[in-house]
Parts: sequence; C-alpha cells; structure tokens
Amino acid sequence: MDLTFNESESSFRDELRAWIKANHPGEEPAGEDEGYAFRRDWQRQLYEAGWAAVHWPTEYGGRDATLVEAAIFNEELARARAPFPANVLGLLLAGPTLMIWGSDEQKQRYLDPIMSGDEIWCQGFSEPEAGSDLASLKSKAVRDGDDWLVTGQKVWTSGAQYSKWCMLVARTDFDAPKHKGLTYFILDMEQEGVEVRPLRQITGDPEFNELFLENARIPAENVVGGEGNGWTVALTTLMNERAGLAFGLQVGMKVALDELTEELAASGKLNDPLVADKLGELHIKCEILRLTAYRGLTATMKYGQPGPEGSLTKWMWSQGNQELMQFATEALGPQSLSDGSAWGRSLLRSRGNSIEGGTTEVLKNIIAERVLGLPRKK
Amino acid sequence: MNFDFTEDQHEIKRTARDLLTKRSGFEQIREAAEAEAYDESLFKELCELGWAGIAVDEQYGGAGLGVVELMILCEELGFSLAGSPFLANAIGGLMIEHAGSDEQRAQWLPGIATGEATATLALATDGVAAVVPDADGAAVIVLVEGDSAVLVARGDAEVEPLTTIDPSRRYARVTASGGDPLPGDVVGGLARAEVALSAEMVGVAQRSMEMAIEYAKERKQFDTPIGAFQAVSHRCAQMLFDTEGARSATYFGGWAADADESQLALAAAIAKAAASDSAHSVTNSSIQVHGGIGFTWEADVHWFFKRAQLDASMLRSASTCRALVTSITAASLASAGGA
Repeated sequence: MDLTFNESESSFRDELRAWIKANHPGEEPAGEDEGYAFRRDWQRQLYEAGWAAVHWPTEYGGRDATLVEAAIFNEELARARAPFPANVLGLLLAGPTLMIWGSDEQKQRYLDPIMSGDEIWCQGFSEPEAGSDLASLKSKAVRDGDDWLVTGQKVWTSGAQYSKWCMLVARTDFDAPKHKGLTYFILDMEQEGVEVRPLRQITGDPEFNELFLENARIPAENVVGGEGNGWTVALTTLMNERAGLAFGLQVGMKVALDELTEELAASGKLNDPLVADKLGELHIKCEILRLTAYRGLTATMKYGQPGPEGSLTKWMWSQGNQELMQFATEALGPQSLSDGSAWGRSLLRSRGNSIEGGTTEVLKNIIAERVLGLPRKK
Repeated sequence: MNFDFTEDQHEIKRTARDLLTKRSGFEQIREAAEAEAYDESLFKELCELGWAGIAVDEQYGGAGLGVVELMILCEELGFSLAGSPFLANAIGGLMIEHAGSDEQRAQWLPGIATGEATATLALATDGVAAVVPDADGAAVIVLVEGDSAVLVARGDAEVEPLTTIDPSRRYARVTASGGDPLPGDVVGGLARAEVALSAEMVGVAQRSMEMAIEYAKERKQFDTPIGAFQAVSHRCAQMLFDTEGARSATYFGGWAADADESQLALAAAIAKAAASDSAHSVTNSSIQVHGGIGFTWEADVHWFFKRAQLDASMLRSASTCRALVTSITAASLASAGGA
C-alpha cells in the first residue's frame, strides 16, 4: 500500500497545477449560453496546451495518462474551481467508446474535434418510456438504401442545443429479444429530421432537452460496433460514465464542505455539538468516497476495465452530496434559500444526483446482482 | 498511488483465513461462548506462529512489521470471531510500543510479543474502566484518561470479571490507583489501537454480510429466493456500501499509522467512527435478512451483532470521533486560511 503520489504522478500534478494557475479563466459568467461558450473557450485552451484529454492514448492526441493521473486531472480542476470542459460527454463517453468500438475511419474523423471542442457531443439513450429499463427503448431505425432513417423521441439530452453529434441507440430489429435488436449510431444533429426542445429543470435552467427525431438520416458508415450490437456498445459508454467522474465530483463535494465548515466556524455555529456531529459525519462520508474511488482505481489498474464497483462510488457521492446540501441550508438558515445564495441553487441541483447517470435504485440492483451475486430481481 | 496489499500482505491474509477457518468454526465459537472460556490452545497456536508480536519491534522479540499487517490479522479474527486475547494484547502492545519509555518497552513488550504475558487497553475515568477486554488474564493493563495513560500490573489492579452481552470475549471491570505513567505520545498510541479495533469490526461486518447473502440466495418464500426481492437485495447492497466504506477508512488509517503520522489523527477518527457505525448497521441487517431464524440462539449471526456492540463501545465512541473530525478539519482550514 502506498497512498502517496509517486514521482511522475507528483510532477504531472505540479505541472498541471502551475498551468491552471497561469491560465485560470476566472469566474464562469451567468446564463446558460454564456456559460457554455465560456467552457468551450476553456476547452480550446486546454486542447492547445495538450490538457484536454489526458487519459487518451498519445496516438489520438492525449497524454496516455494513467488512471491515477486522470484522477489527479479532475481533482486539480475541481480544487482550482476551474470549469469542466464543455464537451465533457465527448471526452468521457463518446471518445473512449469510439476507441474501443469505432472503425479506423471513425477514430480518424471524430476524435480530434471532440478534444478541441470544435464538435460537441450529446447522448441519446433515454426515452420517455425507457429510463432505467434502457434496453426497452423504441426509437426505430429502418434502412433506406445506404442510409438509416430514425424516428423516435429521446429525453434528458444534456447539451443537445450545442451538439454537432449524438451517440444514439435505436432499435433496428423489432423481432429480436430487447437487448439484441439495438444498434449504436453517430447521428448528425444539424439536419431537418432533428428537433431539440429545451426542458426546464427544477433549478429553472434548461440544462437538458427533449430530442424529436422524424426520419433523421444516418449514413451506414456511422454505425458503431456493428448492427445489432448496440447494447454492448452502450454498456461501454455507461461504465465510463460512472467511473470517470468520481474524482472531480468528490473534490467538488469537498470544496463545498470546506466552505460550509468555514462559514459555520465564522458564525460560531460549530460550537453546537449537533452541528459539529453532523458536519463530522459529512467529512467522513466525503473522505470515504475519495478513498473508495482510489481503491477502485487500483483494482481497475490491476484487473482491467472499470467494474461494477463504480456503482458504489456514484451512490456514495449522490447520497453524500444531497445530505451535504440539505444540512448546509438547514444549518445556515433561511437566508441560504434566498436570492444571491449559491447554497439554495446547489440544494436544488443536488436533488438530481441520485437520478442522473443511473438512479440509486438501479445501482443497488447492479450491486446486488453483479457484485453480490444475488438472484435477478423479481 | 497503490491502494492494495503487497504480495506478502495478501499471503498473511490467506494464511490467517485458512488457519482460522480450520481451527475456529461456529461449533468452537458456540462452545467457547457457552462455557465462557476460550480454547486456550488456539491462542497458543497463533502465538507460536508469531502473530502476537507481528507489529512489535524485533529488538523485543516481535516480527517488526507494521500496523497494516496487524490490521490484516485483526480483520481476519473479526471475520472468524475466534475467541482469544489477541486484540486486547495487540492494542495494549501498540500503546506501550508507541508511548512507553525504553524501560517500559523492555519490561512488557517481550511478553506481549510471545503472548506469554499479555496486555490490554481501555479508557478510564478516575481510575475506573468499566469494561476492559481480557483484563483478567492480562499481565499489564493500560488505562487511558484524556491525553495521558498509565501502566498497571495485573497484581496492582482490582479486576472483576463481567458478563456482557458478548459471550465470545472475556471482559472485566478494572479499578486501579496510581500506575506507571507513559511518557510518550498517548494520543498517537490510541489512534493506532483504534485502527486495529476498526479492522476487527470490518471483519465482523464482512462475515455478517456474507452470511446474509448466502442465506438470501437459499431461503425461498413465495417460491423465490428472498434475495431476488428488492426489499432484501437493496438491504444487502447497503451492507456492501457500509462494509466497503469502513474498509476504505480503516486501511487508510493503517497506512497513515505506518507511513504518514501527520494524517493519522484524522484517519483513525474516521476509521473508528465509520467502522463502529458500519458494524452496527451491517450486523443488524444480517439478523433482519435471516428473519425469525436470525433471532434464535441457534443461528450464528447474533455472535457478530454482539461483538459489534462491544467493539464499537470500546475506546473513543463514534460520536466522539465525529466531533474530533470536525475540530481537526476546522483547525486545519483555519490555519490554511491564516497562512
């Protein structure tokens, strides 16, 4: 066991830390579009300095960073309160999926613009009738000469309004069992058959969208991983989704927790033993999340792909972060729920944590069946 | 960054698991609990293998390994629940080694390392420690009050054996006046002891969880294994969540004890709080998953529930540790902000 960073990990961190310090873009501007443009510029800056996709192999323009270094990247970004790059779904999901399943032509065509942020990606998986039961999705793709025509509806599509491409899963075989009849496509968002309608979240922001597809055209060469193989390809995307973000999220929680601790100390509220007890519990949860994420990372480096244990850290984070925001607003009092306080907004945003990226209930099923080996649910 | 045991450490874990599985099954645990006496030959065997002195310095006859190796043994002993004065002796030894004078070390550590003259450790108030593990058979008792501690030879203490709700271990009430003060870092010694104790609780939680899962796979109601019902399977997932969280925290504490003293105070408090809460919740859930049979003397899950209660009550409580985590964190933020 060695829980320190080795020499190359330390020098990676120091170099990155110095670079962020010299290039920090400052506070993100208010407003959805302004914020997005700001993060897109930030990504361009990262790209030009070679920091946009540290975990990618050098042959695709990354730094071939180890998993630990990739974790350090997310930690440092969060610690410096620098924004995450705009094309986060492209970098964490589409890119790695294409590296595993994509053809040489696809890798050649799509990977670089993902990294630079020139082409933004969104994820077209969930549908109104297919949420946790993703494999029951009904969007239908039919052949039309050399092309596919897709008709259907997708939902919770974050960043669709800015996207050039969509990772789309649609049904190509209605006679096959539900997991078998799916195909994974790269859909061009800039066409007539695609309509994006913003969906307002409980925060008031339209962070995500509904996507309406009416005979949207996809050329055959935009199939990823082969016809009928969509479920397997989609799982690669989902595993990356849960494994990649843990470190940034953990540090985000730690930064908020430290801020809360300072505010409570300044107001004298830490002298209340009940406040100190609950705050201690939250610090413990946050530290356990960090340590468990590092344990998972060691296991991944030793045994290969991110495993279902990633479900545990996602669950730990969502629960911890929700408890943190609830406690913060309780302890700080009603002014934290009014205009001008970030806590109120963070409280609302945190409500989505146990739903986005796999509901806690689905994560528990995954843990029960795939980690503990319990029989499939009734 | 490598959060895994070395090959040697994995080997210690495997050896311990194999031996304890062979030597101390539920039949032996039940026998010992009902007779309120240990199988003396088991502790002798562990001592012959050098376990008692695993973390004791070589100059005192120990193996000179670290808290991490000791923690591995404690976890396996918690997993098997084998009855012996091992943990009490180990935590007493950690305190004497870390906070004792050269004379105190030379006097007590050789007996601790061979297991021939064992130690124990407890928190006391005004010379009274209400529940001390394995004090009756110990040669030396370490009593901690606040930031200081004293050594009391068995003959100088009043030791009254107790029956507790945990019949798998012997406990006693200890009263002593005076004693030989430990001159060194008592708080650091206590932190090391708490990591070892937490490791035992991780083992207790792990075994309880495995028993619940095994039962949930086999037990059928409504023609279905109960583990297929989400009300049951989600409870099992929660057991993994709690056990793995406590394990992460405890291993970090073991590493800090051996490699980074500056993080130990916080790491040990986190470990003891997390392991105590997890041991409570997981052993509680295990009985629940077993249903009515889990509430009978015949089912073996209750031994773990009982051990968890006593373990969590020893040394600093989870709530004391949570308050400590807050004060350490607030102080380090204040000094970082002021710097």
